[in-house]
Amino acid sequence: MRRLLSLLSLLLLPAGLPAAAKDDVLHLYNWNQYIAPETVERFEKACGCKVTQTYFSDNEELLAKLAAGAKGYDILVPTSNYIQGMAKAGWLQPIDKSKVPNLKNIMPAYLNTSFDPGNKYSVPYAYTITMLGYNEQKMRELGLAIDSWAAIFDSRILEKIKGRVTVLDSQSELMAAALKYLGYSVNDRDPKHWQEAKNTILKAKPYWAAFKASGYIEQLAAGNIWLVHGYSNDIYQADLGAQEAKQKFRIKHAMPKEGAVLALDAMVIHKGAPRPDLAHRFIDFMLDGKNSSDLTNMIGSGNPNSAAMQFIKPEIKAMSAIFPDQQTASKLEMLTDLNSQQRRLMNRIWTEIKAK
Amino acid sequence: MRRSRTLWLAALAAFLFLYGPLAIVVAYSFNDSVMNAQWVGFTLGWYRKLFANAEMLTAAWNSLVIGLTASVVSSVLGTMAGYAMHRWRLRLLPVLVLAPIAIPEILMGVSLLIFFVAINLTLGLVSIALAHIAFCIGFVAIVVRARLAGMDESLVEAARDLGATPPQAFRLVTLPLIMPGVIAGALMAFTLSIDDFVITYFTAGAGAMTLPLKIYTMVKITVTPEVNAVSTLLMLVTLVLIVVAMRLSPGALRAGG
Amino acid sequence: MSGPPLAYLLVFFAIPSLIMVVASFRLPGDFGGLAPLIYSDETGTHLDVTLESYTRFFSDVLYLQLFLKSFWYAALTTLLCLVIAYPLAMLIARSPKKQRDLLVLLVILPFWSNFLIRVYAWMIILGPNSVFVGALNRLIGVFGFEPLTLLYTPFAVIVGLVYVHLPFMVLPLYANLEKHDPALLDAAQDLGANAWNRFWRVTFPLSLPGVFAGAALVFIPAFGIFAIPDILGGTGGIMIGNVIKQQFLDTRDWPFGSVLSIMLTVMAIALAGLAALLARRSRL
Repeated sequence: MRRLLSLLSLLLLPAGLPAAAKDDVLHLYNWNQYIAPETVERFEKACGCKVTQTYFSDNEELLAKLAAGAKGYDILVPTSNYIQGMAKAGWLQPIDKSKVPNLKNIMPAYLNTSFDPGNKYSVPYAYTITMLGYNEQKMRELGLAIDSWAAIFDSRILEKIKGRVTVLDSQSELMAAALKYLGYSVNDRDPKHWQEAKNTILKAKPYWAAFKASGYIEQLAAGNIWLVHGYSNDIYQADLGAQEAKQKFRIKHAMPKEGAVLALDAMVIHKGAPRPDLAHRFIDFMLDGKNSSDLTNMIGSGNPNSAAMQFIKPEIKAMSAIFPDQQTASKLEMLTDLNSQQRRLMNRIWTEIKAK
Repeated sequence: MRRSRTLWLAALAAFLFLYGPLAIVVAYSFNDSVMNAQWVGFTLGWYRKLFANAEMLTAAWNSLVIGLTASVVSSVLGTMAGYAMHRWRLRLLPVLVLAPIAIPEILMGVSLLIFFVAINLTLGLVSIALAHIAFCIGFVAIVVRARLAGMDESLVEAARDLGATPPQAFRLVTLPLIMPGVIAGALMAFTLSIDDFVITYFTAGAGAMTLPLKIYTMVKITVTPEVNAVSTLLMLVTLVLIVVAMRLSPGALRAGG
Repeated sequence: MSGPPLAYLLVFFAIPSLIMVVASFRLPGDFGGLAPLIYSDETGTHLDVTLESYTRFFSDVLYLQLFLKSFWYAALTTLLCLVIAYPLAMLIARSPKKQRDLLVLLVILPFWSNFLIRVYAWMIILGPNSVFVGALNRLIGVFGFEPLTLLYTPFAVIVGLVYVHLPFMVLPLYANLEKHDPALLDAAQDLGANAWNRFWRVTFPLSLPGVFAGAALVFIPAFGIFAIPDILGGTGGIMIGNVIKQQFLDTRDWPFGSVLSIMLTVMAIALAGLAALLARRSRL
């Protein structure tokens, strides 16, 4: 018994030691797999510091931790529609523009959004569009053209692919898709329209296999699921996975003609950041064209940085699903945040959708 | 001791149920595919990749250390609680012991985060361990109490009659008799700790990484066989550690030692 | 004896939980979290408390239905765990002393692989491409039945729940069975009892404390779980745990999430108390 305990205490010693006696550490709180490893390594060499990463898979996860008071992070990467709220809640510090000269690389269309006028708190990082992804071989066999939200809401299409469809497990995204299908804006607040959207969803639900926020990439690439409601960069990676697994089919993007949700993710600095100096260096570093292109080349994310274009793989640049043309771009909308009354109603609707 | 054949068959079926998925986990760690969906071919590449992945290995190590810490501390506290609940008609302790098991993990995670921030505790690996201990105590306490129920009290009385003080009676008579319960509780606590995700997510400090946290980051895209490899490795390492520990204290799982 | 655990749990459980109990009476913050507890306006300083979240819970039958559904899922899981775990625990308890330690370890070893990876293994076993499902469908096809989909169904959720909670039934059962005196069974046999009677009238009653301990350690967590329905469940598979998660990680309604959690905890403890009462009554 005594020997057992002494063995245990030997193992526990390292845990008791203070973490990283080095001072030069940048704490990055980012989405899962949303930065290329080589980019991080390059930054660490350039600044002579270390980067520790914490991850989240949904904006709400990030918000929940911040609301509970978590600190110790330097850079956060939320989606831009959350930035207004985060600033009002006092969780962000302004960015010193003099320290981030590379900001000039960002395309004007992505600057000065209504969420952060003048880019006081945030700097664009990457963007993604929520759309449809499908197994092109299966859709060809079934004679289905996938170009509209009808693919996940219309029973005439759904009955051919019953049990082989997944949708996003996100109330904002799924309701947005339903609203678009019905011809409304994704930011429509009319409770009557919300009920319509709810009914559309409930009617289509029996045909869907599951609500999947993640993991549908694998299922798509494995050929178990044939159609997904998902993010453009995820669908791109599903295609890569299918090719890597030497499947006989490819995974294609489909931009619904009614329009879709654009999510612009941005870098912000946390109010109590331990190292704002390193944070600014990181932001400027990521605004450099080459560094910014790494992520796009890795996962097929949209890139708001004009200096990055020359470094991006041509086949990705050519994909209108990732770099939409003017006409498509005009149909994209960014989600705005709800107030607490609206959130409560949405909550009830969503619980009903999930429970029935 | 008679061993009936139906018992044997039933137990075997249960064992197959237990190990079926595990066989897949281990087998797929050698799968030559990025995804964990279909078998493609054999490779050792994922193990090679794993050993070069410092973040993953650190996470696995952290999980192991936190698991052992949580297991030991909660075993001690849980045994005390289980004994106290068995011996005396307590009101508060049973509720405090049972509630962490019942309470939804998210609530416990969020509330602990708020609490840690309020008392200005630096978040890190220690905050994770403290949280784990809190919800593991109950598991140990319940098992120990169940073990005590039906224990022959006359043995303890006999010891007292022979001149043992209460602490001596506990240490020399009761403890060895309930040891299988304590160990069972410790094993459960360890299992809970190395697998916990929700509470760990909230109580982890910036940059503190445990294996479940790390693996969860891969769920978004694809859970590569590297995860199977680290799981297989973790199982092996834990098994070796426990076997070594058992050699050091033989008979811990059996009464009387 | 009760001092140290009491102290620990008071500090690291009771006080944090109290924060959330108070939260159930507060209003949600605009950006997540909670609205300030005390606020001042023209009329003076006020305590911003409300029973709103509670009334919302009790006036909406939807949540009660979800609680009921979760109850049945958890109860079924507990029963299945008992049926599967019992022979296993019994076999280990009756094995020669030298093998027992190893067998217990072998039972718990699978659960030191990661939770997610085990669930993903079930996705492979129950998925459309699986060898197992293919063989099963061929078999029932012989009898003229339609092929089954096993993944993304309540069946898959139950299988996942049972699998994940199994060790928490095996270990308490084993801890109890291990100390059964074989002499009692010998005596029963000498008195003419057959194998079934020996089990049902001697072993099982003696093992009841272990059974109830295992049942508590399976039912209570299973009641509030959300991860398994999320991954294995289909579109209709959510349990109350998912709704609670939703409040904190989707709709930022912490007060309502607290109310649901309090209800869940109270129900679970009440059921455990009821079970303990029955256990005491059943022990002669």
